Amino acid sequence: MPQRAPGLLRRRLAAPLALLAALSVAGCGAPPADQAAAEGPLRGFEIEAPLAMPPATLVDTRGEPYDLRERTAGRITLLFFGYTHCPDVCPVHLANVAAALDHLERPVAREIEVVFVTTDPERDTRKRIRTWLDRFDRGFTGLRGNSATVAELQRELGLPPAVKEPREGEGYLVGHAAQVIAFGPDGFARARYPFGTRQADWVHDLPRLVRDGGE
Amino acid sequence: MQWWCSARATAWSWEWSPYPGVWLMLGVLVAGWVWVHRRAGAEASAGRTAAFGLGALALWLALDWPVGALAAGYLASVHMVQFLLVGLVAPPLLLLGVPGAAWERLDEAAGHRRSLRFATHPLVAFVVFNVVVGVTHWPTVVDGLMASQLGSFAIDMAWLAGGTALWWPVIAPVPEREGFSYPVKMGYLVAVTVTSTAPFLYLTFSELPVYATYELAPPIEGISTREDQQAAGILMKLGGAVVLWTALTVLFWRWYREEQGAAG
Repeated sequence: MPQRAPGLLRRRLAAPLALLAALSVAGCGAPPADQAAAEGPLRGFEIEAPLAMPPATLVDTRGEPYDLRERTAGRITLLFFGYTHCPDVCPVHLANVAAALDHLERPVAREIEVVFVTTDPERDTRKRIRTWLDRFDRGFTGLRGNSATVAELQRELGLPPAVKEPREGEGYLVGHAAQVIAFGPDGFARARYPFGTRQADWVHDLPRLVRDGGE
Repeated sequence: MQWWCSARATAWSWEWSPYPGVWLMLGVLVAGWVWVHRRAGAEASAGRTAAFGLGALALWLALDWPVGALAAGYLASVHMVQFLLVGLVAPPLLLLGVPGAAWERLDEAAGHRRSLRFATHPLVAFVVFNVVVGVTHWPTVVDGLMASQLGSFAIDMAWLAGGTALWWPVIAPVPEREGFSYPVKMGYLVAVTVTSTAPFLYLTFSELPVYATYELAPPIEGISTREDQQAAGILMKLGGAVVLWTALTVLFWRWYREEQGAAG
């Protein structure tokens, strides 16, 4: 009898163990979340015609010159034009990108640079930009330039230059393009993300942009 | 001017906005209540008047500015507060406000008996309520309907109808159901607390925002989309539990008093 017990035990446990083993193998073989998300076409609007990062030099929130083309080379760059008094589009876009980056695995998130260029240099001081961006992510880069430089930069990227719009009561609003442009490590634009892009879309596309690099 | 609260693309403002559709609906409700009393030839008792008044107040607070406006297009957590008020708090109070004579008249209306008996059967009511809760919290439905006044109105009315269906067998004396005793009523409400766990889990533990309406809404200072969604899930569970367990406690005491009375 003592000899039969292990056999019986083995037979009784065979099916559950096999199932467990199969599940374990499946678990080991399953791609990690970021890899799984990186399948399928991009959810952003892919840019077919070559569009290079303009060679403009702006000023970052530390007061240092920032050469856009040079400083963003070799990484995925999400470029966005907006302003800190923006009541809707800008904070939503940046909050969603920040939340998506938090959601990604660190090595993937580290490959992504978020660059914000103010379209309202009159009110957006360096300090104000830094404080505002820090609400989303301390790693976001904030840039300022004079109105003419920023307008030219937008034109080079095929965006309409931002315009001041009167507002009821005090102050003014700034009408600006609501899209984020994603550049590959080679400095060429890969996709546009209009307002309405959701965290799930970013979580889907960013790992793929990192994986595909400049392809 | 907007008649009913719906999602808007403009930043949230604490400046008051009128929503005449809400006032009109409440006016119709109050007029209906007065009409029911007159038709029943009954004086409105203080208790029933208070119950109806509190029910109408809950609806007004939930649907008008600011709760209605915040709920429609800015915060999922406030949307959940609105659901609790419209779907769980107002219906039992409004039903408690109906005069006894009106219930008797309804009972006498023989033509309605069979359909009423079916529509208010606890099993049917349970299914109706849970389907309403499930459908009106489904992301595609919320995002599709909250953008328009009519859609937002449809969701609010579905909650009111679903809540009325849920509470009818517990509160309304018509039609009589001998088998639906206090312990069974209590079991029925406990079952509702169990089924409401599904949306709670879905909202609280989703890693990404489930509703585009609130994810893409002009932000409200101090709360992120994720925190807002988690708060919505927790409010649904805790707020629902408070309402349902309060009702369970009341039922238990009534049952206890009846048993004591029978024994005495």
